[in-house]
Amino acid sequence: MSTTETTTATETTTLQKGYVGQSVPRREDKRLVEGQGVFFDDVKRHGMGYLHFVRSPYAHARIQSVDVSAALALPGVYGTLTGDEVAILTDPFFQIAADPGGQVKDYALAVGKVRYLGEPVAAVVAETRELARDAAELVEVDYEPLEVVVDARASLEDGAPVLHEDCGGNLSYTGVWEWGDVDGAFAEADHVVSISQLHFDRFNSTPLELDGALVEWNRGTGQWAITTNNQFPGFAVIMMAPAMRVGTDKLRMITQDIGGGFGNKITSHPQLVACCLLARKLNRPVQWTEWRTDFHQSMSHGNERWFLDTEVAVQSDGTMTAFRTKAIDDAGAYLRYEPLGGVIWSQVAPGMYRWRNLRLEFTQAMTNKAPVSPNRGYSRMQHLWFTERIIDIVAQELGFDRVELRKRNYVQPEDMPYETPNGCVYDSGDYPRALDLALELIGYDTVEQRRAEAVERGKLLGVGIGSTLDSGTNNFGQSQLLNPELQFSGNNEVATVKLDIFGEIVVTLGTTPQGQGHETTAAQVVADILGCDVDLVHVRAGHDSYWNSHAGFSGTYASQFAVTGLGAVKGAADELAEQMKTLASMVFQCPIEAIELADGFARIAENHEAALPFMALGAIPNANNAGFPVDPPPMNARFVFRPQFDVPDKEKKFGNLTLTYAMQIHACVVEVDPETGVYEIVDYAAVDDCGVRINPQIVEGQVMGATAHAIGAAMFESFVYDDEGNLLTPNFYDYHVPHALDMPPLKTSSVESPSPFTPLGTKGMGEGGGGGIHCVCAALQDALRAAGGALVTDSHNPYHRVWDMLRHPERSRDTVEVVKQ
Amino acid sequence: MLLREVGYARPATVEEALSLLAGNDGARALAGGQTLLNVMKQRAASPEVLVDLGKLAELRLVGVQGMTLDIGAMVTLSALMRSSEVEVSRPILAEVAATVADVQVRNRGTLGGNICVNDPTNHFPPLLVALDATMTILSEDGERTVSVEDFFVGVFETAVREGELLTRVSVPAGGGGDGMSGVTLGAHGTYIANAAASVDDGRWRIALGCVAAVPVRATLVESRLSGVDVDEADVRAAVEGLGETLDPPSDVHASADYRRSLTETSVVRAVLQAAERASG
Amino acid sequence: MSVNEPITSAVVTVTVNGTEGEHEVPVRRLLVHFLRDDLDLTGTHIGCDTGSCGACTVHLDGVAVKSCAVLAVQADGATVMTVEGLAGEELTPLQRSFHEHHGLQCGYCTPGMLMSASALLAENPSPSEDEVKVALQGNICRCTGYWNIVEAVVAVGKGEAA
Repeated sequence: MSTTETTTATETTTLQKGYVGQSVPRREDKRLVEGQGVFFDDVKRHGMGYLHFVRSPYAHARIQSVDVSAALALPGVYGTLTGDEVAILTDPFFQIAADPGGQVKDYALAVGKVRYLGEPVAAVVAETRELARDAAELVEVDYEPLEVVVDARASLEDGAPVLHEDCGGNLSYTGVWEWGDVDGAFAEADHVVSISQLHFDRFNSTPLELDGALVEWNRGTGQWAITTNNQFPGFAVIMMAPAMRVGTDKLRMITQDIGGGFGNKITSHPQLVACCLLARKLNRPVQWTEWRTDFHQSMSHGNERWFLDTEVAVQSDGTMTAFRTKAIDDAGAYLRYEPLGGVIWSQVAPGMYRWRNLRLEFTQAMTNKAPVSPNRGYSRMQHLWFTERIIDIVAQELGFDRVELRKRNYVQPEDMPYETPNGCVYDSGDYPRALDLALELIGYDTVEQRRAEAVERGKLLGVGIGSTLDSGTNNFGQSQLLNPELQFSGNNEVATVKLDIFGEIVVTLGTTPQGQGHETTAAQVVADILGCDVDLVHVRAGHDSYWNSHAGFSGTYASQFAVTGLGAVKGAADELAEQMKTLASMVFQCPIEAIELADGFARIAENHEAALPFMALGAIPNANNAGFPVDPPPMNARFVFRPQFDVPDKEKKFGNLTLTYAMQIHACVVEVDPETGVYEIVDYAAVDDCGVRINPQIVEGQVMGATAHAIGAAMFESFVYDDEGNLLTPNFYDYHVPHALDMPPLKTSSVESPSPFTPLGTKGMGEGGGGGIHCVCAALQDALRAAGGALVTDSHNPYHRVWDMLRHPERSRDTVEVVKQ
Repeated sequence: MLLREVGYARPATVEEALSLLAGNDGARALAGGQTLLNVMKQRAASPEVLVDLGKLAELRLVGVQGMTLDIGAMVTLSALMRSSEVEVSRPILAEVAATVADVQVRNRGTLGGNICVNDPTNHFPPLLVALDATMTILSEDGERTVSVEDFFVGVFETAVREGELLTRVSVPAGGGGDGMSGVTLGAHGTYIANAAASVDDGRWRIALGCVAAVPVRATLVESRLSGVDVDEADVRAAVEGLGETLDPPSDVHASADYRRSLTETSVVRAVLQAAERASG
Repeated sequence: MSVNEPITSAVVTVTVNGTEGEHEVPVRRLLVHFLRDDLDLTGTHIGCDTGSCGACTVHLDGVAVKSCAVLAVQADGATVMTVEGLAGEELTPLQRSFHEHHGLQCGYCTPGMLMSASALLAENPSPSEDEVKVALQGNICRCTGYWNIVEAVVAVGKGEAA
């Protein structure tokens, strides 16, 4: 069941009413349901060798020696690569961090040391997958185990084992982020609530397709063709090219179908470099497929974050005026996309609330665990969870109603566009209205009745709200707030639209969709602008840097396609439309204003007989261009969409860091078995607002997927390590993800608050901000009020944690104090 | 993900299977493969030879002989669910089979495989202990029957020796009432704790999974419940103290203490379920 | 055909999507790798290494199985249907229903989902929502949350697919 409400629309687009806004069924589907999708592992090349990585069984060890001779002797083995070779052939990867994190030396294979269990140490290429695997077992590595540290708080203490000696310690980045008058706000506060520890756990989205690539080396041109599923090729080549000492154009990045990304396919560049080096060394195509256990042990964990010594200043009427906290973030063993997590949270520094005084001390540390990388909701989710926990804990401690406290403190619709204390601008939204919708969907007014009825069945019922933002379209200038030396700022995306010789409309994108339906939504936008049937618009599948349809930030990540990708598509289509009208006006010898594009023609609006079909328009510049005194326009447009940003103020850490703010409000009802701690989500509602929705069905699909990920993280999913750095959840057997029978009933609804800042009024969406985690935590806390009143201070609440909360409510209760009454 | 080199044989008769198992070092029976092949993918075990039992139709029979329900070792969990003999004579077997993993696994996975692996979290070992099953084991020297007490020996180890084959599992047909309860990691997931209970004429058999290498009989609870009409309060009283007698493992899903508590709860629920079925 | 002395490679005769063929395979090769690498039928996918995700689901002698938990040599003499064998000239009502109900996003789990769902529908043409969930319990999806997939299969049972 899904309903939609629209808030006041503003005129932001010149689109005719047409495909945009309709749930046009996806054109990607046909090949995918036929099993004819092309995922990287589906691609074969003659003579290709299969690569298997030898991985470290230790979380921390010196590498004394690597002996590949037995592997090389196995028939069918083509060759090997070791860390020693990598250290000679490549330079360490560029580091985003300033010192000390900037001193990390990160290579395609471990050089000298291993720093997490599963780290690739050597690579073997062989004739078949099985042989490569066999040969990998024959590689002898002599390790000298070192002491291990798996807790970021411990890794920051004196005497902790140091991962990267060049850094002098395990600190990657630390900084104080403060705006407003925090001390003053606390001095004037009627109440101060102190929460000693909140913990956001480590998990990720485990896309079903693993990482991998097929890399071909062209010996004549010195170019690599990398067929892969890396979802941010712009970032990958910026990392790979300098390390490999080649120009970025030597790295052709090709993707077609990608089996889910969710941010977890951004940092595969070390493995891609290993593949490239081997393809060149062996002069044959090299194919690497990651297996599930490899992925869990070594790829893209989400940021684990503690919020310590939090204090919240609250007025007696419930207005929250300030918070201060110390965030400790665990980056794992290497910094790849980090420490960007250290600034990205600040896109939503006050969450959805009108705090004007904030202080957050952000410290990131490295540990002997898999390196983190962006994970759906990246760094904002952790922070938004923190703000939602504050609301629920403050409400419970001070006796406020959770709904009223939110509504009182939400940024209000009349405040929009709203500038936050650190200069970010929330573009639009009606949070109270969306909250009301969510409460209506969940049947909030019947909760007490349902609670009583559940008690009869021996269950504790709870209802929870999780409100969250999905900030989209980054200003990469925020990276300079972490490292002023960086030369990154703004953002971009590219698209081309052309008419081919027979009038076929061809669109290329710079993006790397992993199921978001870019081909379909791009076609909708183009069809509306060109005035033609959507089926006539051919959008090329995937990404290929050979198309020259990309720029430095191209890729699909961070909830931005509807703004950057479609902004580029709109720009290119608008330009093409202008070219088509110009050409038609040349042909008909009339002013350009007289021409319209409609029904698949460029025609004189007042006289539809004077009409040129697209085929004619395409043929003229391509094949029939004599007789024009002025060049006929080429029927080919390339547009680089650039969102308007300034470089933020590095001193004050102030500026607009994100163009759009989509919003979701989730609500759920849980039933807890007080004897076992086992609980079930029995009802669920999600309301989203992502501005103008190009394709409502696709938007809803993203909301559903984000909900499922959040439910998994809340109930089941965690990367748990023991003290030796062994990952105890290395595959789907122990890392349980939700299956069909685990899903609650779901009701969704939408609000459309167009963004005033984007070409189409759209906002990026998709990540979802972890709303499900927030509301499950809230619902559990509500359920437990009747059984000890434990407070939920962890994002991850498997049955055993709920059982602990039931038996020892004082453990969490004792971490919270109202220090000022 | 990729198996080591292995030998393979697919006997047409049980005799051939026994000969292959006895005659090849490191030979292992391949039943449904849902556990063994996955273990081999992890390279945690690498048999020298796989003896594929897939063609042995005589191991796929289900039948009732007098008061005994006989289930061939190669009967798949799906077949167990579809069997009218099972439904009539000992439906708990089909009910529990329906909660194992998923359809694909049940289409290949077998009752024999499930118990021969003797993974402490598997469904059927504790259930069969509660049902007082008897296993029939065949070797080149002949056939022998083993009580369920003697069948589950140790960590991933059963009474089936090298060169032998489990051919069938037998349970009393009918009986009083059966129940099984536990907590799983997600719906139809792996058990974190479980208990199976069976009552016949006031006599109880209660078996605990997940707490030791082999199913554990809760003998004290059994004797407290013996011959008594039970209600929830009685059952809880009978179960009290059970947890302290156990030494369950701690892992990422449950501490030893949590397992103790979940096991006690599982026993209560399994007993109540069995009692209700016995009476009605 | 029986194999009564251990072998490490075998010639298997298998009918895949209606076409019979003979192929030499190492015994240790999983059916899923045989399909993908030897027969170039890459619609069947691999998403895990513990037999948990179901992306590799095919029909073996008409029954839904995970092809990563079957050796290629075990398919000797059998018929196998993969996702590529579902549609004829036109997509099946099930495939169309997935399309209409947005039952796929990245499409990686989709072949496995279609094979599990089609096995269900062959046996139970009008399944309830719960029956569909049970049938799909062995197929992991990380994109959709399953709601639209379940709706798509139920819709086929109700005859709602176009």
